[in-house]
Amino acid sequence: MIEAPSASIGLVGAPFVGALLSLACRSKPERLKFCVIMTAVISGGTVVGLAGSLTGPTEGILFSFLLPLTAVVSLMGQPVHPMHRSSSIMTLLFLGLGLGVLTQGGLAGKILTAAIAAFIAVLLHRHHTQLWPISRWGIATYGLGAGAILAAAFADLPLSAIASLLAGAVLLPLVPLHGGYLAALTRLPGNLPSFLSVLLPVIGVHGVDAAIGAVPEGLAGVVAILAVGSALYSAIKALAQSRVQLRLAYGSLSFMSILWWFAASARVTGPSTDAFVGAVALVTSGLLVSWQVVRTRFGDDVDPHSISGLAASMPRYAVLLSLLSLAAIGLPPFGVFAGFIGLLLAPTVSFSIALLCILLAWLSASWYILDLVQHLLFGTHRPDLPHTDLNRAEFASLLLVVLALLVLGILPARLVGSGVPTPTTSETESFAWKK
Amino acid sequence: MLLVLAIPLLLLSAASLVVIGPSRSRYARAQFAAYFVGAAFVSSAVLLIIVTTRGPMTLRLYEPDSLGSLAFPIGFHVDRLSAVMMTLITGVSTIIYCYSTAYMYQDRYFRRYLAMICFTDFVLLCMVSSANLMMLFLFWQLLSYLLYLLAHNHGHAPTLEGAFKTFTLLRVADAAFLAGIVLAYHLYETLEFQDLFARANDRQITFSLWPGWDISGATAIALLLFVGAMGKSAQFPLHLWLPGSLFAPTPVHALLHAGIINAGGFLINRLGPLFGLSSTTLHVAFAVGTLTAILGATMMLVQNDIKKTLGFSTIGQMGYMIMECGLGAFALAVFHLIAHGLFKATVFLNCGNVIHKARLEPHLPPADHQEEEERFSWLTWATGFLTTLFIPLMILLVTHGVLRIPLLESQGSVILLFFIWITSSQAILTLMRLRAVASWKVSAAMLSILSFIVFIYLFAVESFTAFLYPDSAEVAFYFKAAALPSWLFELIVLLTTLLTGLVWSYLYLRAHGRIMRMPSWIDGLQIRLYMLFMHRLYTDEFYRKLGQSMMHTVHRVDKRTLGWSR
Repeated sequence: MIEAPSASIGLVGAPFVGALLSLACRSKPERLKFCVIMTAVISGGTVVGLAGSLTGPTEGILFSFLLPLTAVVSLMGQPVHPMHRSSSIMTLLFLGLGLGVLTQGGLAGKILTAAIAAFIAVLLHRHHTQLWPISRWGIATYGLGAGAILAAAFADLPLSAIASLLAGAVLLPLVPLHGGYLAALTRLPGNLPSFLSVLLPVIGVHGVDAAIGAVPEGLAGVVAILAVGSALYSAIKALAQSRVQLRLAYGSLSFMSILWWFAASARVTGPSTDAFVGAVALVTSGLLVSWQVVRTRFGDDVDPHSISGLAASMPRYAVLLSLLSLAAIGLPPFGVFAGFIGLLLAPTVSFSIALLCILLAWLSASWYILDLVQHLLFGTHRPDLPHTDLNRAEFASLLLVVLALLVLGILPARLVGSGVPTPTTSETESFAWKK
Repeated sequence: MLLVLAIPLLLLSAASLVVIGPSRSRYARAQFAAYFVGAAFVSSAVLLIIVTTRGPMTLRLYEPDSLGSLAFPIGFHVDRLSAVMMTLITGVSTIIYCYSTAYMYQDRYFRRYLAMICFTDFVLLCMVSSANLMMLFLFWQLLSYLLYLLAHNHGHAPTLEGAFKTFTLLRVADAAFLAGIVLAYHLYETLEFQDLFARANDRQITFSLWPGWDISGATAIALLLFVGAMGKSAQFPLHLWLPGSLFAPTPVHALLHAGIINAGGFLINRLGPLFGLSSTTLHVAFAVGTLTAILGATMMLVQNDIKKTLGFSTIGQMGYMIMECGLGAFALAVFHLIAHGLFKATVFLNCGNVIHKARLEPHLPPADHQEEEERFSWLTWATGFLTTLFIPLMILLVTHGVLRIPLLESQGSVILLFFIWITSSQAILTLMRLRAVASWKVSAAMLSILSFIVFIYLFAVESFTAFLYPDSAEVAFYFKAAALPSWLFELIVLLTTLLTGLVWSYLYLRAHGRIMRMPSWIDGLQIRLYMLFMHRLYTDEFYRKLGQSMMHTVHRVDKRTLGWSR
């Protein structure tokens, strides 16, 4: 039996070693891609092997499985190109840091989280262009997040809880601190957006878990109201976007806000919240990978409205994208639906106007996701466009996401535990019905 | 017990058999899969017999106490209602599947189409045999997506708008359904049907969403679930998705109009004990159903496309079915949906041939027979007019005295009788417009046949009600819950009688060349109404404008906020 600290070091070390080895084959993109994918697979194997030795919370184990899986998925969905070398290696770096955050508690975990935020800020700065001046907000947001994490590490309660919550709102995005998340998903190169779409919420919710119970009640109420507004605002913004990455980013922001509403109302998180975050993050990642498939064939700046009828010429892609869109809309049997139902049926939730707003945000996903997918897959077939169905790596990548979402949907209790959060006294009293 | 599980699995196997395998053997596999579909029908019939003789069967693959933490509480509860629905669905599906194997033979997407038909049947079967509300909702939602896929031709660009509209409207209804489920779970802490009904009956909970606005918990839940039913059963104003889905193959429409669209009626029946606790919801259902029936039937009359005509006919019939539920005649609604399903499936399966023939032999519509207008018979008119008044009275007396149906004690039954009368008068009017025969023999034969049909119908309905709800107290409970205030009830009966008599006389006299002194505004109104209904009350335009203004607002919000989209 391996000791918990050793197991944790093993988990963090494997991706770092892989990243160092990958540097050696930097001049050969194909070999580099193979090397980074194998490292991510080995990391996944290490998580499976060492899962029994880890002493962290249940959601840490679930998320520890999700991170290597997402790394594999995002790397496989990316075409081989010299420009993607850095992003592939950075993925391994982030994977190591992420696993460290999930398995290390206390100060070490906080420092690793701050490092992730700082790294992303640096990357955003590096890829900043004058065409997108607004991405400076992203850099500032992650800077703020890193500062808040460090403040949380050294301050006392309740200041540390508030700082943790602030950092959580940067990582697990919540309006008005969503700029960093949007920038990361739209401005970073290669496979980083699809990987970070899982890493950021996962480590964010990890921090929120610890902080939400300790913040003052008034602040939690404000956060709950903010979350409802954030869910609706993001849904509206998603509806208005013509750029696919931005639409997906706003869509996931809307769903993440639903989690914030639940966490702030219930003052507790549980297995259902973890299943929900995991599923939403994974489906966002999957959709980003599927959009990458389109970009690989039709160019980086392709307008989604100029493409149609892919269902006829790319049937495998059409089936997988349809399934992903089903999951993103929140239909069964996928994890988003299971997690959402888990939140709604939790005893800590009361039937209120806020819940109706949340349902509205959930409903609006049916419009902005379906609108996007319908434009791509259906309509007039365009024989003038090049059509090549998924290659093996892309197919495997999207299939893995679909299967993982299916598992999260069918067996959420097995993966994240079957316990449900219990209400505090104040929440029980706030139920608006009487006999 | 395994039979309960085997029936949906047979359809899933059929779908897999069609899809998986080499292309060269696709026709052989498709034909072989028909045996699976047929076997599902035979098994459903056997299950119906078993359930009738031995009572309901329940198979749960989960612990009922853990329902809240499970997203997929798969379980089956088959009672007489479920078994009847399963037999109907598999029966109609067998016919449609066999028909489709020949009809779609040369279609490029032959395999995908047949597999989706089988998969839709699988979803429908799981839905009607659900053991709890959550499982029912799971398959209910899948059905929304399958409708989006099946009922539209996605290669045809102009129909994509209709497909999107279908999914949008169905999702709105689904969201209301989900809200109902969440409320039910929070108020009664269960989604198991029997427990839910028992707790709703025991606990008189008042729910307040807004201070000072109290509503009974059962009513709030039933209203939300009813909105869900309105979506699938194409009730006004959520009916627009149905006439918009006209470009799919006709067998799909047969399945849609015979099976899928009945989901609303099934839902109300399945949750009958809950709806029975809420008179308000039943009255709303009555109002919505009546409005839909009238609008659907009227719009049907002015359509010039066979599929649209049939589509609006279905909307009208679904309105009728929901209206029956609103009257508390739950069993009658199921009887109606079976009869309508079988009829409409037959019509739709034949519809493709009619269209094909019309395309091959184009000709102008038949001209009106002018000579009929010249012949007017007071004898025929008086016979028709008097008998339309006489028939209901005779039915009332005979059914009350001979068949022992408590018509006089139930408002719902009287209103149904009333509708039979209106339908009869409409039938007589139509016959007389076609042939102005002033003959006692013709009139007598017509009336005898009509009376015979009405009695048989009433007898069949009564027998079916006794079969579906063996406990007569339950039937009486629903009727009582649906009872309208007596003044309103009498007013409705009086006004409808006057209106029917007047319209009957006016139309008959006018059809036979007699001039009736009518104010000029009535003629103008007639034309306006014709235009209004021909354009389907401009509801398509209304929804389009609503969508445009919503998107306009969305873009304004987007531009006003510091945007990443800039």
